Amino acid sequence: MNILEAHQVTKRFGGLIAVRQLDFSVPTGSIVSLIGPNGAGKTTFFNCITGFYKAEEGALSFEGVRLNALRPDQITALGIARTYQNIRLFSEMTAIENILVGQHCRLRSGALGATLQLPGSRREERQALTRACELLDFVGLQGKGDQFAKNLPYGDQRRLEIARALGSQPKLLLLDEPTAGMNPAETGEMMAFIRKLRTELGLTVFLIEHDMRVVMGISDRVTVLDYGVKIAEGTPLEIQRNPQVIEAYLGRGAAAQHGPA
Amino acid sequence: MRIRLSLRAGLTTGVINVFVILLGLSTLFGNTLRGWLRLGGQAPGAWLGLVLVAMWGGAQARRHAGGKSPRAALAAGGAAGLAHGLLVALFIWAVAGLSERGYPIRTWLAQLTPDVVRFLGLGLRPAVAAVVSMALLMVAGLAGGALAWAADKYAWGATIRSTRARLRTSLKEAPPVRRFSGYRHSKRALIGVGLLVVLLAPLVLGQYWNYNLGTVGAYVLLGLGLNIVVGLAGLLDLGYVAFFAIGAYTVALLTAPAPHGIEMSFWLALPVSVLMAALSGILLGIPVLRMRGDYLAIVTLGFGEIIRILSRSDVLTSFTGGPRGVRDVGGPSLFGLDLSSELYFVYLILLGIALVAYVTSRLQQTRVGRAWMAMREDEDVAAAMGVHTLKYKLLAFAIGAAFAGLGGGLYASRNQFIGPEDFVLLVSINVLCVVIIGGMGSIPGVIVGAVVLKGIPEVLRQLSDFRMLVFGALLIIMMIVRPEGLWPSRRRRMELHKDESPPAPAALPLEREMEVDTP
Repeated sequence: MNILEAHQVTKRFGGLIAVRQLDFSVPTGSIVSLIGPNGAGKTTFFNCITGFYKAEEGALSFEGVRLNALRPDQITALGIARTYQNIRLFSEMTAIENILVGQHCRLRSGALGATLQLPGSRREERQALTRACELLDFVGLQGKGDQFAKNLPYGDQRRLEIARALGSQPKLLLLDEPTAGMNPAETGEMMAFIRKLRTELGLTVFLIEHDMRVVMGISDRVTVLDYGVKIAEGTPLEIQRNPQVIEAYLGRGAAAQHGPA
Repeated sequence: MRIRLSLRAGLTTGVINVFVILLGLSTLFGNTLRGWLRLGGQAPGAWLGLVLVAMWGGAQARRHAGGKSPRAALAAGGAAGLAHGLLVALFIWAVAGLSERGYPIRTWLAQLTPDVVRFLGLGLRPAVAAVVSMALLMVAGLAGGALAWAADKYAWGATIRSTRARLRTSLKEAPPVRRFSGYRHSKRALIGVGLLVVLLAPLVLGQYWNYNLGTVGAYVLLGLGLNIVVGLAGLLDLGYVAFFAIGAYTVALLTAPAPHGIEMSFWLALPVSVLMAALSGILLGIPVLRMRGDYLAIVTLGFGEIIRILSRSDVLTSFTGGPRGVRDVGGPSLFGLDLSSELYFVYLILLGIALVAYVTSRLQQTRVGRAWMAMREDEDVAAAMGVHTLKYKLLAFAIGAAFAGLGGGLYASRNQFIGPEDFVLLVSINVLCVVIIGGMGSIPGVIVGAVVLKGIPEVLRQLSDFRMLVFGALLIIMMIVRPEGLWPSRRRRMELHKDESPPAPAALPLEREMEVDTP
């Protein structure tokens, strides 16, 4: 059973084809990685899934619902949440407020309810706050909820971004280079944390990653993109031995040396 | 090298002094002092001003060029004073000499009135006056240098600071103050007293100040509305006056005898004006809200001008009253009692402010306000977090416009007359200044900002022509000293701490909630 399916997805920017006829699927409950050299179209594909870009051709579907014509907020409401390669928190808001914004699509109270302080609105607000605090604890940021996001250290910002994404109660979490800029110890913690997301919250995780130790360490399946084209797909072990992948990363000469024995 | 720094300090302050004279500020200073100290004429005060600037030059020279010894300080101050004196003396010699020969200086330099020439000339021949003034300013420079040295030597600055700190702590530690701040409801009590003062003040202020208070109040309403659009949602709207105009014209046209003769009751017309403004906010919003930042600012600027030009156009004269505006706008009355005096309007506007401030604070602290702030921070990410950005932008525009419409309706009714000239671009810019100077996204900030921006020019009225000059300088200083605004927005503490939160259910409350929502 696949939670996310892409069929022949193509995304162009003028003459440049960023993603070309990509067939792709994410099995429910798995951890899947997308790798490839810089400019291969990985983040573009993320943006197509979340509705920030519209794919020109092909079909994207999430649990059988077609995503192509939906707005980003509608897609989030379906159960897809994401983080960003370069952290994009709401920097002038506190950590708690960031998580509360993440819960936006799960809350209902509007301008009128808030103004009149209707009991439903107040109860919902209280529950949202409780839940935000739980998420804060879950990512290990307890006690830092009232700090501005911009004042948190780098590693905390990465975790807050994940907590914000979890606020929308996603089924599929898209992580764009979650360990970028981390030292080996922090990277190890992040890997453990990603596994915990699956085991404790039952999430499906789809990540873009450059750190091969992470990719090979936690992925069930790995897909390789190069110039917008899928050049390989398989288990981490298969990918490591694939000559095309080695060529894309290291060049033709290296591929010949490492070639199939 | 040292001497060059001193000379430079002297010349810089000398140029400042020449400009002070050219702008007529020294006569203003002289006149003000004459009023306060009951001096014989303006000359002593004006010269005092020039001497003070020269002393400042000497002190600057001592700071940049003077050594530790008193002699070095005197040398630096003296050199600065000499340069300063030479420059100003040359200027005085030229001005006095030219005017003695009957040359019409005022055609070129309007502020050099005969009065100014007389006080500069000291009643002496031009050359003598130049020498005397040079000597005077040089002594002033010397004195400045010496004073600066003494201030350093005896650590006057530190003494003043420590005295101030001591005073502050002793005030804080004073038994009555400590008892009060220890009292649990002291903050509420302070707010209560403040409210009481605001409520009672109009009764004793008299018509003139009540009129000004009403104008400040109208700006608070506008500021609170724009605060939602710019401060919370981050949409730069430079045509905000359009909604103010729509509110004002709605009330005016519905209640005035001409041009339509509807003469509706004020109480009915006011909600209609709020509604009309909100509606026009949405109508403007639909086409322009896909734009961002600078582009949005320019389009809204154009919208504001369109509304003003439409209101004064000849084609629509039969509908809007054209350039001559609308007269005899109806006022509020209750049970046959006429409530349209300045005093009642102050209370009416205060009531409006209370309502608007309440709505704003409720929205700010809940889901809608958070969505706005998220959009202000990063629109794309806000959308990715599930915020329907178009909807929330329209909501911000509609609510902001509704507040402006309320302000406009009250303003029209109080003034009993409105015309196109009440709704010029400057109003939009002033309201934006209110929000920025007060503190973006802060309700008390907007109120303080409006009081400062509309109140200070009234207080500065005795400076006559220089009112706006001084006001502009104050604005610049304020923004340098407090770039985040006079009363920046504060965040409530929200994180529930372990001891306060209700006992959590035994195992993994998170997961359980997930299952409830995603069966």
